[in-house]
Amino acid sequence: MLHIAPLSLAGEGLAETPGPRRMTQLIGSSRLPAAVPRPRARLSAWAERHFKWLIVLPAALLILALSIYPLLFSLWVVFVNYDFDIPGHDFVGLQNLSDVVSDPNARSALALTAVLSVVNVAIEFVLGLVLALAMVKTFRGRGIVMSILIVPLFISPVIVGQSWALFLQRPFGPADYVLGAMLGHPVTISWLTESPWYYISIVIADVWQWTPFMFVVLLAGLAAIPPHLYEAAELDGLSTRMTFFYITVPQLAPVILLAITFRLLDAVRLFDVIFMMTGGGPGTATYTASYYLYQVGFQQFHLGVATAGSWIFLVLLSVVIMVLVRRLLRAEKS
Amino acid sequence: MAGSATIPHRIRRRTGADLLRIACLGVFVIFVLVPLYWMVITSIKPTSDYLAVPPVWFPAEPTIVHYTAALFSYRGLDGLLNSLIVASAATVLSTVLGTLMAYSMARFGTGGQHLAFWVLSQRFLPPVAIVLPLFLLFRSWHLYDTHVGLIIVYTFITLPLSVWMMYAYFRQLPRSLEDAALVDGLSRWQALWMVAVPLAAPGIAAAAVFVFVAVWTEFFFALVLTSRHAFTLPTVFRAFLGFQGAQYGEACALATTSLVPSIALGILVQRHLVRGLTLGALRG
Repeated sequence: MLHIAPLSLAGEGLAETPGPRRMTQLIGSSRLPAAVPRPRARLSAWAERHFKWLIVLPAALLILALSIYPLLFSLWVVFVNYDFDIPGHDFVGLQNLSDVVSDPNARSALALTAVLSVVNVAIEFVLGLVLALAMVKTFRGRGIVMSILIVPLFISPVIVGQSWALFLQRPFGPADYVLGAMLGHPVTISWLTESPWYYISIVIADVWQWTPFMFVVLLAGLAAIPPHLYEAAELDGLSTRMTFFYITVPQLAPVILLAITFRLLDAVRLFDVIFMMTGGGPGTATYTASYYLYQVGFQQFHLGVATAGSWIFLVLLSVVIMVLVRRLLRAEKS
Repeated sequence: MAGSATIPHRIRRRTGADLLRIACLGVFVIFVLVPLYWMVITSIKPTSDYLAVPPVWFPAEPTIVHYTAALFSYRGLDGLLNSLIVASAATVLSTVLGTLMAYSMARFGTGGQHLAFWVLSQRFLPPVAIVLPLFLLFRSWHLYDTHVGLIIVYTFITLPLSVWMMYAYFRQLPRSLEDAALVDGLSRWQALWMVAVPLAAPGIAAAAVFVFVAVWTEFFFALVLTSRHAFTLPTVFRAFLGFQGAQYGEACALATTSLVPSIALGILVQRHLVRGLTLGALRG
């Protein structure tokens, strides 16, 4: 059964524990003053009362320490000079921000990130849906096919980038030879250094790794559509195409939204594959936002500028997150 | 009459759809396997086969020389050990802390919606937004290039995964057994460890595997926060960038070594895959 459980938090009864538990609490607390007030007992009574907060605390503190602190610290770095080339941390106002905004590399990296994310996610969605539709019925060997299809999800993106680079790039890779044999004439594509093939190589690697994500999530969604809807459609004489558009798509809509949201928010981070396949090159042609910020911060050591850039990236991303998550919640309520 | 006319029509259409289905799946299965096959085969190819035309799809004389070179000359073994240490420790920490938090959220509604979404939002925080201040902090606290530092970061980035997976899991477990345990005089802590955790063991194991795989394959934080000492396996691949010279087989040997454990674990928890991928928002 499909169940989009925790996203429907709002309407759920989050009220305090019902009947029996409250009773033991009452019994416990009324017994306490009578008992010997040993410090140990008092401590355990205190721990018992605040139990629900005590077990949340370690994880909450760790998340606080590693997200809020870096964000606040970096907010300070945005407005000061923080550069390994120039000593001191003088207040520089909006200099770092304007350095990023006026950098053509930053703008093209942001544009490429947006385009690549949309293209990758769109292709992965279509292929994932096709695969999910092909896999929704049982057949002999389905288990093996399933195991093969999910393999890319468990491989480091670094290895994905590397193995595609090896497979595609001349003169080592067999890609050109295979294509040549199939097309009947020699193919001499330089997959990682020739425009537009480096974009295509990056898309191939990303699609290879993440189509299984779409496939697995959409398959779960498809399997959860109640079969009686299809029976009714067949009785009403709907064609396969009408069944798909009037039953499958609307029933699948919340899952589609969920899959695209999760995937898109990961797609915009694209770094590892770039690092391994093109190194941002040729020139700066394949700089993505993450790769640009890494270069500026950790190769050129303009930490202030990189931090300013990462804040701009974060703010832009928050807008996307807000829109998508709000839609997700609305789809959940209806 | 009408019936006998439609039946063959239907049979023909179904077989057509079946063929299309098989074709789609077949093409994609080949697409998935080809680069993996090429990588594994290259890892056992003698150097002289690298540039052969037509390409060598199976070497006449397989060799393991690239494996020994990758592990010992390129410090692949050190990376492997570091990855094992860091991934194991982060898995234990993240699963324990995540299970505790998830239990409180699921049973007592602690923090309500806000806490749950705050944790989830960390999952979508781009690493590049926090890695710079962490880098500076780690340098001043002597955590840079240490196992401890990396373990802390990985515990943090995998907490949304373990918390949300276990949150979904606890919510579907009945609470009546824990209530009975409380009536019997167990403390809440005992009810958690002796009743709820054993019941949730399959979910905890699945969450642990997903955390482990996430850490095992992570690259960005390891790249920025380590250098010569605590570097993990994915960062070793930097040594092979550019593919000049004869490092082709070594890169493939190391990649093959690295993906065996994570793929094995992944196929083991296949049943929980949907929950792992969507952080429990969707149950398979």
